[in-house]
Amino acid sequence: MTEAAVRLAGVTKSFGSHTAVSDFDLEIPRGSILGLLGPNGSGKTTSIRMMMAILVPDRGTVELFGGFPDFARRSRVGYLPEERGVYEKMKVLEQLVFLGEIRGMERKIVRKRAMEWLERLDLGEWAGKKVQALSKGMQQKVQFIGTVLHNPELLILDEPFSGLDPINQEVLESIVLEQREQGATILFSTHLMEQAERLCERVCLISKSRKVLDGNLKEIKRRERSGVVAVEFEGDDRWLGRLGVTEIEKVGDAHHLPLNPRVDGDRILAAAVAEGVSLRRFELLEPTLREIFVRHAGDPAEEPVLLAAGGAR
Amino acid sequence: MRGAGKQVWAVLRREYVERVKTKGFIFSTIAIPLLMLGMIGLSAFMAMRSEQSQRRLALIDFTGQVGEEVARRMEATGYDLEIVGTQVGLEELDRRVLEGEIEAYVVLDDLTLQEGAFAYRSEDSPGRIRGALMESIVVETVLELRLSLTENTAGVRELLGGSHLNFERLGEEVSEVEEVSGIATGFAGAMILYIAMLLYGSFVLRSVLDEKRNRVVEVVISGVTPGRLMLGKILGVGCMGMTQLGIWAACAGLIGLLGVPMLAANIPEADLGQITEFLPGIGALVLLLVYFVLGFFLYSSLFAAVGAMCSTEEEAQQAQFPIMMLLIVPFMLQMFSLQGDAFAWMDWAALFPFFSPILMFPRAVSGAVAWWMVGMSLVFMVIAVGATAWVAGRIYRVGILMQGKRPTLRELARWIREA
Repeated sequence: MTEAAVRLAGVTKSFGSHTAVSDFDLEIPRGSILGLLGPNGSGKTTSIRMMMAILVPDRGTVELFGGFPDFARRSRVGYLPEERGVYEKMKVLEQLVFLGEIRGMERKIVRKRAMEWLERLDLGEWAGKKVQALSKGMQQKVQFIGTVLHNPELLILDEPFSGLDPINQEVLESIVLEQREQGATILFSTHLMEQAERLCERVCLISKSRKVLDGNLKEIKRRERSGVVAVEFEGDDRWLGRLGVTEIEKVGDAHHLPLNPRVDGDRILAAAVAEGVSLRRFELLEPTLREIFVRHAGDPAEEPVLLAAGGAR
Repeated sequence: MRGAGKQVWAVLRREYVERVKTKGFIFSTIAIPLLMLGMIGLSAFMAMRSEQSQRRLALIDFTGQVGEEVARRMEATGYDLEIVGTQVGLEELDRRVLEGEIEAYVVLDDLTLQEGAFAYRSEDSPGRIRGALMESIVVETVLELRLSLTENTAGVRELLGGSHLNFERLGEEVSEVEEVSGIATGFAGAMILYIAMLLYGSFVLRSVLDEKRNRVVEVVISGVTPGRLMLGKILGVGCMGMTQLGIWAACAGLIGLLGVPMLAANIPEADLGQITEFLPGIGALVLLLVYFVLGFFLYSSLFAAVGAMCSTEEEAQQAQFPIMMLLIVPFMLQMFSLQGDAFAWMDWAALFPFFSPILMFPRAVSGAVAWWMVGMSLVFMVIAVGATAWVAGRIYRVGILMQGKRPTLRELARWIREA
């Protein structure tokens, strides 16, 4: 049980002259929740499709649960593809029963469980309707149920929340976290930094077919210090000018002080104490995921999609 | 592997239930028997109508010599003849025709004795066959009359009366009814096989293509292996086809059971026993079923492979062309052999597994080939089903997850090798 749920090593995939994924290494420990982040076209979906053996890498190895992603291993995965593939003419409940059945669940049990899920996602009265009668968002929820119905050990979700209203996004997020509590490993891709920041324990940032960085989100943030200290205090602010810090920014009540080699946090704290101002807040600011991404992946102007404001797409 | 049967069953049931529920299925299943019934009813109606009015003829004989003989002979062919005296005016007869009392009247006069010419006065033309029949009756009668006036013509008369083509079969003894019945069953069977394999095969193609296009297959494939998915799909469509054919066969049987005696009651000359002799026997039906099952597996796996390599409807239309040819060629050959242009090499072509259902079944039921050839064709087909399923399964496995343009032949070969 020590092997990683997913492991990619040196994976490369090209379509014609276009390299979709280049020399990609990734390891997702069991029981963790990882966000695969990157702008559209950065290779998220291609990587996921290789994990599901839908695509075969040109180079490198893909492993699920410590081995080739063969049928037996794939059947332990709940996979939500980016394209919302559903049997449009089938009734909602029957579709879910079918998806459970091919995974070896008993018809009766799967019917009961699917109905519970539908109720939970406010789709109870749609159970007997054809899937094509549902809105896109509702179809997505149905498909999501199909993904978690058989209690998979690993959830691979490609843009699971896109296109949903905030309320439904929240509902699905809570289900994802709940699955995690129950011991499932979760990988989901998104281009919404805020969402990843909210949900993930681990992140993997990719840009232009390459991995930018990955690891534990807290560690990354600690490592990637922003180099900005925020101070709030009562009293005269002239002491700030004597610190030797340029470009002080006033954000609300706080002053943001960028550090430099001669001025570190301790020095600012000591100066504040010496000045005798009453400090209300002193914080070494953590960078946002977005800032980290921009720092590593380059000019935000080149990634307009990524940096569009968060929230529903 | 454990659960394989269950998975195939789940796929089969989904495919079957979803198809049987469609409006198209329900409509065509009901419409075809109704159409059959309508056509039979219509032809029975027409037959009865012509029975009543079109067979009533009047005959007026100005020669005084051949009238009675012509009338007798015409009655023998099923007409209802009324000889009217020469004192009756033609206007009176015209009126009777126009009022529908009689279908027509025939006028025999001196010209009839000289040239065999006679008048047939009616609203409608008698048609070529009836016309020719009447012509030959009149000419024969006149000829006999003229011959009897000259000399001893017994020999000539016999010749006139007895022209007959006596077909003598060499080899095995087969009754005429059996042979006609065999040819009819064979043709009907070949037709059913052709339509069923084409229709249900293309259902398989459509099903595969749809699943691939909307990417459902990517989810399904994480739960079930491609081989089982393909098998379940083919079985599901096959069961649907059997259901439909079964319903049609039952309807045909019912129509036959109720309709034939009804028809027989209305047509006094019809011999019920003779009609039933024309119906195919149980053996022929079982053979038809066997050829259908094997042929359906053979063709539907090809169709599944084509569905898997295409991404759009248009591509599929083009790509299925070779398969269509495999069906059309034997069908054309069968049409030729039905018209009597059968060659010995066609019997051997019938051993080609893809041609066997359409070519071998009719040959088997009409007794045109030896039984061992039929057996051989079945063995070949079983082998071909296995081989085709293997190749098609490999194409399917790779193809359903491929997007983009259709593979070239070289790429296809690689799929088959590496899958």
